[in-house]
Amino acid sequence: MNDMSSRRLSSRRDFLRVVGLGGLSMAALPALNACGVGTGGGSSGAAKNGAADVTGSFDWKKAKGQKIKILQTPHPYQQSFQPLLKEFTAKTGIEVTADLVPEADYFTKLNTELAGKSGEHDVFMTGAYFIWQYGPPGWMEDLKPWLQNDSATSQEYAFDDIYEGLRTATSWDFKPGSPLGTGGQWAIPWGFETNVVAYNKKLFDSKGIKPADTWDDFQQLAVDLTDRSNNRYGVSFRGSKSWATIHPGFMTQYTRMGCKDYTSEGGNLKAAMNSPEAVTFTKQWVDLAKKAGPTSWTTYEYPDCTRDLGDGTAAMVYDADSATYPKNKPGASKQAGNLAWSPGPAGPDGSYATNLWTWSLAMNSASKKKLAAWLFIQWATGKEAMAQGVKQGAFADPTRKSVFDSAFKQTLGDFPGYLDTFEKVVPETKIQFTPQTSFFETTEDWAVALQDIYSGKDAKSRLDDLAKSSNSKVNA
Amino acid sequence: MTTTVHDRDTRARRGQGPRRGGGPPTVPTWRRKLRPYLLSVPALLITVGILYPFVLGAYYAFLNYAAVRPNPVFVGLDNFKTVLSDPIFWTSVRVTAIYALVATTVETVLGVGIALLLNRSSLIGKVFERVLILPLMIAPVIAGVIWRLMFNPQFGILNHVFGLGSTFNWLSTKTALWSVILVDIWIFTPFVAILVLAGIRSLPKEPFEASDVDGASWFYQFRRLMLPMMWPYILVAVIFRFMDSLKIFDHVFVLTAGGPGTTTRTLQIGAYEDSIINLNYSIGSTYMFLLWALVFLTARYLVSVLGKAQRRAAGSET
Repeated sequence: MNDMSSRRLSSRRDFLRVVGLGGLSMAALPALNACGVGTGGGSSGAAKNGAADVTGSFDWKKAKGQKIKILQTPHPYQQSFQPLLKEFTAKTGIEVTADLVPEADYFTKLNTELAGKSGEHDVFMTGAYFIWQYGPPGWMEDLKPWLQNDSATSQEYAFDDIYEGLRTATSWDFKPGSPLGTGGQWAIPWGFETNVVAYNKKLFDSKGIKPADTWDDFQQLAVDLTDRSNNRYGVSFRGSKSWATIHPGFMTQYTRMGCKDYTSEGGNLKAAMNSPEAVTFTKQWVDLAKKAGPTSWTTYEYPDCTRDLGDGTAAMVYDADSATYPKNKPGASKQAGNLAWSPGPAGPDGSYATNLWTWSLAMNSASKKKLAAWLFIQWATGKEAMAQGVKQGAFADPTRKSVFDSAFKQTLGDFPGYLDTFEKVVPETKIQFTPQTSFFETTEDWAVALQDIYSGKDAKSRLDDLAKSSNSKVNA
Repeated sequence: MTTTVHDRDTRARRGQGPRRGGGPPTVPTWRRKLRPYLLSVPALLITVGILYPFVLGAYYAFLNYAAVRPNPVFVGLDNFKTVLSDPIFWTSVRVTAIYALVATTVETVLGVGIALLLNRSSLIGKVFERVLILPLMIAPVIAGVIWRLMFNPQFGILNHVFGLGSTFNWLSTKTALWSVILVDIWIFTPFVAILVLAGIRSLPKEPFEASDVDGASWFYQFRRLMLPMMWPYILVAVIFRFMDSLKIFDHVFVLTAGGPGTTTRTLQIGAYEDSIINLNYSIGSTYMFLLWALVFLTARYLVSVLGKAQRRAAGSET
């Protein structure tokens, strides 16, 4: 072999080695692929709204013979409706295939699919906060034109029967600083949760105590109920590194204590998590987690909280009413039948402002079967189907006042305080966050700040840092 | 040339064999020239299939692509400046480096020790050999779920067994990183042990028999014979484990989601948060591009060390 060919071979080997190394280290890139979710997303803007194409008189059979796919997570709402799907098919002639993805992975799947604009699923379950993220890129169909089109929407639908706080929660114009309830209707509320206190009534009765009405009393009560030697603690609420830590109990009590997340100044949002009242409350909340919360609070999500309540390890839970509700069903937990509900502590001015979560149904703007998709949404959020769903047994809370007042009330016999609590808080129940498109990033940052304070960082300086970083993100 | 091919085809059709003493069949020049390219087509397709997502992901790192900006524009190195000036990124680098170094070191030491023990064939050794592989058969996400239950202070078995009551938190700011490393060690030490054990069993017996005859002690044999010959196997295990640890995500995310605070926020978790939760694809891609560079350089260095070790074990280098 002469020098030249030897050099050529050597350089080929070098090349192969580099390619091999590249291949080896490229295995570092599974998430880089995931970053490519938007490969089809170079183009912007929503697809054309399909409502105007529907004309003539309303008829449930208008899309007869079509097949639609819906994306859902296995949730009591979904489980209550699953047996009813055949009734929808009988009523409309539309076949429905429901694809289920576990809640932990649900939004990852949904984000990826919507960003890809494949239109694989025509309808999907979503939360109201997600509208702030999915709406601006045009991934969701505005349902307001559908609601306003008598050819597409039944006269009996009665959208106003859905609680006002829920209707506004799913409507926004995507302008930072604009309140909710402006702009399009991006989803129709299907089921919702208010964040209140569930407690072990048997334990409370045995000690002759009642739920606390004020924040100071609540903290003291939780500490008094904590008995680490007997593996019992006072109150459970979420603490994991997730935006979902902020929105239930924390945001509810934060608002009742008169605190705001953002204020509007000169067209910009200004973070207010470091206001004096917010710092005081945040410090008290974190101290409560330390003194009377679960030992591994920073990993706690709602199933951990409700499990501890059901096991009798936690005396109280400050979280979604619909999350604690199933634990009181016969056979569902050790403490089934022993649980009760209260609104939680009122604010200094008597406020019962409560943050809500709503599972809603939305239409994929890339759907090719928009009329069939709308008929499904209309049916599932309508009075008749929702009342039937409630009777299946695990659908708390229905979003329609008429269904709550009739079918749902009949299921509440063995749930002390549930109805009174609901009626007390529902007039002040709405999304208490300021809508903004960086919600998940800034709210997860907020949860990280709580964890840092829990780990010993100074509350004021940590919340100052949070406010500074949030200001730059929400006004970017 | 054409005549030859035609003649050969005609003979084949007639059921006759190749022409006797006619020399090798000639192939048209164009076919000879085309053949290497045709042969490389499958490899080329595979390479394109592998490289396309990589190049696309890398390209995103130079755009300002996010869900709220569906029409991205080229921003040069802005994302790199943003990420590299963010203290949280450097926290992630530190967490990832500590994780990879500690996990790989402990797994290697334990794995080699276990392999040496298992090499002494006995009934218990054979049973352990089979039992050891069980953690490897569990998906890391499931391992995370199992350990999360075991770590739970209220009802987890660890606090109960160690008598820690309900107040010791395995996933606190001080302990979380070490706990997630512990889970990694539980899952992957058997991998190192099995790889090294296979290496030990493939070593030639003669040098050991000769040293036995010379009266060498077990430790001397281990240090001067077995270890130098085992190095390539150990290094392969180290390379796999180190690369994998730099990319760690699954069980850490299940156990802590990168918390408390940023205590266990590895680079992959950072990329996930930016890409999937915040839908800020370009920042997520930048994270992953930087991680790729780190893995690439480390792999290049470790592969060169492996090459040297292989040459040394073969006696071609001292």
